[in-house]
Amino acid sequence: MTETTQQAAPLRVVVFADFVCPYSYLAVDQIDRLAREYDVKPLWRPHWLHPETPLEGTPREQTPDSAAKRERLHAWVKEMAPEQYPRIRFPERRHYSFLAFEALEFAYDHGRDAEFKTAVYDVMWTGGGDIGKPETLMAAAERSGLDPDELGEALHDRSYAQRALDACNQARTIGITNTPTMFLGRTRINGWHYYEVLESVLQKQGVRPRETATAG
Amino acid sequence: MQQCYVVDAANTPWKRSATEGITFACQVLLSGEDGGPEALHFRFDDCPSVYAHMHLTSQFQLLLNGSMDFPRGVKHLEGLAIHYTDHNMPYGPFAVSKGHDMLVLHPRAGGIISMANHDARRQINLGGRLFASLAADSQWQPLPNADHSSFKFLMPPGYGPAAVVVRSPAHAALAMPAAEFGRYEVVLEGSVIVDGQEIGPPGFRYVRGDQPAEPLVTGENGGTVAFLTFDRDALEGGINEGSLAAEAAEAMARAI
Repeated sequence: MTETTQQAAPLRVVVFADFVCPYSYLAVDQIDRLAREYDVKPLWRPHWLHPETPLEGTPREQTPDSAAKRERLHAWVKEMAPEQYPRIRFPERRHYSFLAFEALEFAYDHGRDAEFKTAVYDVMWTGGGDIGKPETLMAAAERSGLDPDELGEALHDRSYAQRALDACNQARTIGITNTPTMFLGRTRINGWHYYEVLESVLQKQGVRPRETATAG
Repeated sequence: MQQCYVVDAANTPWKRSATEGITFACQVLLSGEDGGPEALHFRFDDCPSVYAHMHLTSQFQLLLNGSMDFPRGVKHLEGLAIHYTDHNMPYGPFAVSKGHDMLVLHPRAGGIISMANHDARRQINLGGRLFASLAADSQWQPLPNADHSSFKFLMPPGYGPAAVVVRSPAHAALAMPAAEFGRYEVVLEGSVIVDGQEIGPPGFRYVRGDQPAEPLVTGENGGTVAFLTFDRDALEGGINEGSLAAEAAEAMARAI
C-alpha cells in the first residue's frame, strides 16, 4: 500500500490597505509576523482611500481642528503600537498612492509583492519618502529584489494602471470601506486589530503555529 | 424574578478621580455589588487618548454631551449618542472633548481591563458586536396611538440590544414590554414619575423580569426618555472567578 501525505494549502489572508493609511502600516508588521509564524499566504490588495489626491500630494490642513486630529492620531498610534511608534515619521502631506498600487501589481507579477509592499510602507513611514514619485518606488523595488529600472519603465508606460484601477474598483465592489480590512480565511476583520486576535482567528480555523505544525 | 432600581442622579455625590493619567469626575449611581446592575456617570476632562479597554459585560454608553472620537468604525460621536458593546468587546483608544458627559450602563458589574494586557487580548469576544450612532442621524417618528408623542431609534430594530428615545407631553404613560435581560430607562429631558418619585435628567430606572414594569409617567413639562434594552449577551461574562475578572474588578475599583 502506498501512503501519500497531503499537505494542506496555506490559509489565504487578504489585506485591503492603502499605503497612506497609518493603521495599514501598523498591520504590515503583524501580517508579516503572521506569515512567519503560521502557514498562511498573505495577499495585499489596494483600497484607494483618497482618489482625489493629486500626483504631487496634498498639504496637511493647518487649523486648530486638524492640529487636534494630529494629536489624537499620534496618541492612538503610540498606544496601539508602542514599539513601532518611535520610528514612524508622519508625513507632512498626504501622498498620492495610485502609482504605488501600479508598482504593487508589477511586484506581484515578479513574485516579490510581499517584500515590495513592506519596503514601500517602510520607505514612506520610516524613511519619509514620497510614494507619489517613481524614484521612491524604484528604491523600494531595489530593496525588495526587483529590477528598479524595469519598474521605472512600467510606471512610465503605465503598464499596470488598468490592473491597479480594476483592483481598486474590486475593493469598492465587495464593500471595503476602511483600511486595513483583513480576510483571514472565512473571517473578516474591519480595521486594525491586536496580533493576539489575528492569532485567535487563525487558531479557530485550525491553523497551527509553524513549529507545532512541523512537529505534529 | 423582577428587578427594579430607581436612581435620581441629583442625589449622588461626585468624586474626582484619575486612572492611567486620565482625569475625570464620576458618580457611582449603581455599584453592582448586590449582583444587580452597575451604572456610572463620567465626565472626562479633555483627553486625546483614553486607553483602549473592554468590560466583561454588555455595555451601553450614553453620551449625553461633548464628543468622543475613535480611530475605527463610527469615528465621531457627539451627544446625544449611543455606543454599545457586547461583553469582552474592546474599543478605543478614543479622544474625549467639549464637555464630555456620559452614562456607562452595565447589566452587572463589568470591571475594566486595559488592552495593554496581552492575556486580555486572548479573551476578546471574537464574535462580539459594537454599535455606535448619533441621535441626530435618525428622524423622529410619531408614536402610534399616542397623541403628540414621538420616538426615534438609536439602534436599528432587530439588531439585538435596542435603543430608542421617546418624547412625550405631560402625564403620558410610557408602557414598555417586559425586559427579560434588563433595560435602563434614562430621563434625558423633562421628568418622569416612578413609584411616586419624580426624577429628572439623567436619572433612570433599571428593570428586569418576565413581567412588564409599571409604565413611567411623564411629569408636568413632559419628558424624553431613552430606553436601552439588553439582549441575551447580558447573561455572558461578568466578574466570575477567573483571574482576569479579579483584575478587571480591581481596576474598576481603583478607577472610581
